Amino acid sequence: MIMDALKTMGERIPPATPEDLAGARRRLLDGMHPRARRRVVTGPRLLVAAGVAAAAAVTPLIVGGTGTSAYAVSKSPDGTLTVTLTELRDPEGLEAELHKAGVKADVTFLPPGKACGVPRFVGADASYGGPPVDSVEEMREHVNTLRSFKAIRPSSGAFQIFPEYIKRGETLVLEFSDGENAQVLWRMGAWLAKADTPVEPCKPVPRLG
Amino acid sequence: MTIPREVVELDDATLIERSLNEPEVFAALFDRHAPLLHRYVTRRLGTGEAEDVVADTFLAAFQRRGDYDRGRPDARPWLYGIASNVIGKRRRAEMNLYRAYIRSGVHPAEIPGGQVEDGINTLAVNRPLARALMRLTRADRDVLLLVAWAELSYQEVADALAIPLGTVASRLNRARHQIRQTLGEGEPAE
Repeated sequence: MIMDALKTMGERIPPATPEDLAGARRRLLDGMHPRARRRVVTGPRLLVAAGVAAAAAVTPLIVGGTGTSAYAVSKSPDGTLTVTLTELRDPEGLEAELHKAGVKADVTFLPPGKACGVPRFVGADASYGGPPVDSVEEMREHVNTLRSFKAIRPSSGAFQIFPEYIKRGETLVLEFSDGENAQVLWRMGAWLAKADTPVEPCKPVPRLG
Repeated sequence: MTIPREVVELDDATLIERSLNEPEVFAALFDRHAPLLHRYVTRRLGTGEAEDVVADTFLAAFQRRGDYDRGRPDARPWLYGIASNVIGKRRRAEMNLYRAYIRSGVHPAEIPGGQVEDGINTLAVNRPLARALMRLTRADRDVLLLVAWAELSYQEVADALAIPLGTVASRLNRARHQIRQTLGEGEPAE
C-alpha cells in the first residue's frame, strides 16, 4: 500500500526528451574532450554490428553446413534465417548455404582491422555510401527505416536475415572482420546492393574508426 | 560524432569497456539511460536540479569507467548509485520539493491529467507522504526511492549503494514502518 502510494507520486512526470537532455549531454561531451575535439568522418559510413561471444538461443529447423562447420544456417517457419557464425572460414560455403535458403549473398571474411575498399557496389539505400551519421538518434532512425537494416539484424554471435525486406535481384553484401577479442568474435557490415548490379571483389584496406 | 550501429545494440558492460579506448562511445550510454535517470532526479529534486545532476552523474561515471565491474551487463545500478551520491549533496532542494508537495499536493513538474477523483486522492495521499519522506534518514530514503521510483530490484539497490542485501531489506522495512507511523498521525492543519 505504501509502495503503491509512493509509486503514484510524480508518476506522470515523463522521461526526459532529447531537448531536456541536450545541456547535460553537451556537458558530458565537453568533459570527455577537454580540447573540444570533434572527429570528422569522411567517406562512406561504416555501419557495423558485432558478434558477441555469448551463444544465441536458436532452435534450428533446417541446419546447413557440415558438423564441424564454422557457421550454421537455420530457417524458422516465418521465413527468417538465423546464421550462427563461430569462425570466419569458408565464405563460399556460407554463400552457398544462403543461396539454398533463397538469399543471394556476397560474403567476405577479413583479418582484424581491415575493411573492403569502397565503393564495391551501388547500395539499394542510403546505408552504403551515404553521408556520415552524427548521432545515436540519427542512427536509430536509419536502423528503423532503411531496408538494409530491416533485412538483417545481429544478435549474440549470430545474425538474422529477414528475406521479406530483400527485393528481387538485390544482393545481400556481408563483410566480416575478426573482432580481435574473446567478447567480440567478429564485426559485421551488411548492406543491400541495388538489384541486378555487380558487386566488385573486396580489396582489403585498413579500417577507419 | 559517429556512433556505429553496433554500439546501439551492445550491452552496457561491453559499451563501457569499449569507451576506454573510444571515449565517444560513452555518449551511447548517456542516450540509453539519461531519459529515465532524469525522470528519477526530477521526482526527487525537481526540474531545476535534474539537468545538473544528470550531467554530474555521467561525468563522474565517465571518469570512473575504468573501475566498472564488467560482469554486470546492466549499468543502471552503477549509474543510480552515483546519482544517489550527487542527489545526497542537494538535500535542500529535496526538502524544498517535499515542502512544495505539502503545500500543493502535486509535483511541480507533473503533467496535469487523470481523473478528478484520482487527483483528489493523490492530493490527500501525497501531502502526508511527502512529510513522511522528509523525516526519513537519507540512507533509508535512498533505498526506498530506488525501489519505488527507479524500479531497481533489491539486489540492484545493494549493488548501487554498495551495501549488503540484508541492509537493503532492513532499511526498506524501517522506512515503511516510519511512513506508516507518520501517516497514522493524520495531517496537521497547515
